[in-house]
Amino acid sequence: MKWICKRLLIIPNALFIAFLLIQLLPNKAYRIADNPIYTVALALFLEIVLLAVSFLIKKDRLRHIFTDVLGIIFAFLIFWVLATIKLDLPGNAKQAVFPPPGAVLEKFTLDFGQTLTNIKDSLALIFQGYLIAAAIAIPFGLFLGWNMRIGAAAGYIAKFLSSISPLIYIPYAIVLLPTFRAASVFVIVMASFWPILASTMSGVLNVEKRIIDSAKTLCVGRFTMLFRIILPASLPQIFIGCNQGLSVSFILLVSAEMIGARSGLGYFVNNYANFGNYTTALAGVITIGIVVTVITFLFNLLQRFLLRWKQ
Amino acid sequence: MSKIEIKNLHAEYTDKNGLFLALKDVSFSVKEGEFISVIGSSGCGKSTLLGVLQGILTPSSGNAFIDGRPITGPGTDRAAVFQHYSLFPWMTVRKNIAFGLKQVKKNLTRSERYAAAHVFLKKVGLTGFEHKYPFQLSGGMQQRAAIARALAMDTNILLMDEPFGAIGAKNRSNMQELLLTLWEGDGQSRKKTVVFVTHDIDEAIFLSDRIIMLTNSPGQIAAEFDVHFPRPRIHSTIRKTGEYINLRNKLMTLFYDENTGAAAEEEYAI
Ligand SMILES: Nc1ncnc2c1ncn2[C@@H]1O[C@H](COP(=O)(O)OP(=O)(O)OP(=O)(O)O)[C@@H](O)[C@H]1O
Ligand SMILES: [Mg+2]
Repeated sequence: MKWICKRLLIIPNALFIAFLLIQLLPNKAYRIADNPIYTVALALFLEIVLLAVSFLIKKDRLRHIFTDVLGIIFAFLIFWVLATIKLDLPGNAKQAVFPPPGAVLEKFTLDFGQTLTNIKDSLALIFQGYLIAAAIAIPFGLFLGWNMRIGAAAGYIAKFLSSISPLIYIPYAIVLLPTFRAASVFVIVMASFWPILASTMSGVLNVEKRIIDSAKTLCVGRFTMLFRIILPASLPQIFIGCNQGLSVSFILLVSAEMIGARSGLGYFVNNYANFGNYTTALAGVITIGIVVTVITFLFNLLQRFLLRWKQ
Repeated sequence: MSKIEIKNLHAEYTDKNGLFLALKDVSFSVKEGEFISVIGSSGCGKSTLLGVLQGILTPSSGNAFIDGRPITGPGTDRAAVFQHYSLFPWMTVRKNIAFGLKQVKKNLTRSERYAAAHVFLKKVGLTGFEHKYPFQLSGGMQQRAAIARALAMDTNILLMDEPFGAIGAKNRSNMQELLLTLWEGDGQSRKKTVVFVTHDIDEAIFLSDRIIMLTNSPGQIAAEFDVHFPRPRIHSTIRKTGEYINLRNKLMTLFYDENTGAAAEEEYAI
């Protein structure tokens, strides 16, 4: 009994109830665009997930992560509903710019098929660019870091180049590359290349001397030294750059898809925002957020697996 | 011909204060199959000496020879166990050993390497730990795995730098006995030539055929001692003999002598 109470009397549940109560408040202004059914349905769905999680996940740490995230989502929904339809805030006159959650969720649901295509196209673009960048930056960084142990200089150069926004390259990419698609990929490549290169080089420079000596006394060949010793030894650092590169890639997705793309999340957001349809644009932004979260989660799993030899 | 020959070796480091002389005019030789220990107080240049033999440090003058040929770099005729744990942290224990093996015996298949790893892990008492990563092992276990790696490579020369430095006293004498057992082998195969660095006098006496004592920095040869105890040696029996006590006293006196290191060693102890 006490155990059940402990699992039920948590702030996220309180927030859910608060959310339902807030629905009962009258709408302040006449809001034709909102469709509260969608908001309530989402909240109900999340509450079911919350209850399932509270009772099914045994490990405290993992359960708390889920319940905390859901609590934050409830809090955000409450804020959103209050700010857009229940209170008279100055911005509310411009409903087009501050659409209520129901409207956004409705768009999200109705456009779901299109959204899936967008996700697919955007991920294809990002992965293509990102993998090209990593496939060049990591070996190149290993080579530079290892061969110019004075690599500090190369490090500064990489810092300098990485401070240039990849947006600058867009006109050049369009002029020099055969297709618009290639130019979009190029933007993503440039976004992730420098952070990965810089972190790889600093990783190599920080490999402990005893590891290098140990490998040297085993008489390893050049290739083995680079890819079986230096690469894994600098992997923790390399991952820092890979994480950064991934974030920057997603930030630049909108810009990359401005170049001649006809689908994709960035194109979608940009397109609707340009036409003043903020409800749909916001649905797109939320989709990007969800995609980034899922990708980050998977990326962390990969990182945990590849670095399982670290304490 | 001696297996290892060192002639008028000087070794220097360059740091921000300029040149630092770590080894000064060191000459000695090691016979094939001989087990020698190099002892001296902390910072006297023992690791530097081994670095030269490993081929990762270049002497500033003088020469080091193996089988009469000057050392120009690391070689697959030598295996090393380092003072600080030297397993590769991203490889499991078995992988570490198989990796070392692969570098010296290119023609072995992967399963042959794993089989050899299994045999040597068994010898050092690490059966069942094949799939652990180094961070999951204690310091002593890591050092045993490093020894297994060095032995599995089956090189003629074994260079060991205070391999038991970080291991507790009880485990330490077990490890010493284990090392001797493995070195003596079945009596059939040729014995390896071992250069063993330590700053523990008892360890040096127990293990070696000969002890080379270095002075304080810059390291020079202070004295050489032959150690004649019959093998196989067992701690409990050797320790009681008068010969042991005599030799130990001689070494102690020299070790704590003004020239060789009394002051410095005591300062270090504080
Ligand atoms: N990379 C380096 N740069 C400058 N000086 C160094 C370097 N490595 C060692 N030295 C100096 O050379 C001397 C000998 O060092 P070494 O590591 O050979 O000592 P050691 O006898 O192995 O000591 P310990 O018993 O503490 O391991 C020391 O005085 C040390 O300060
Ligand atoms: Mg040392």
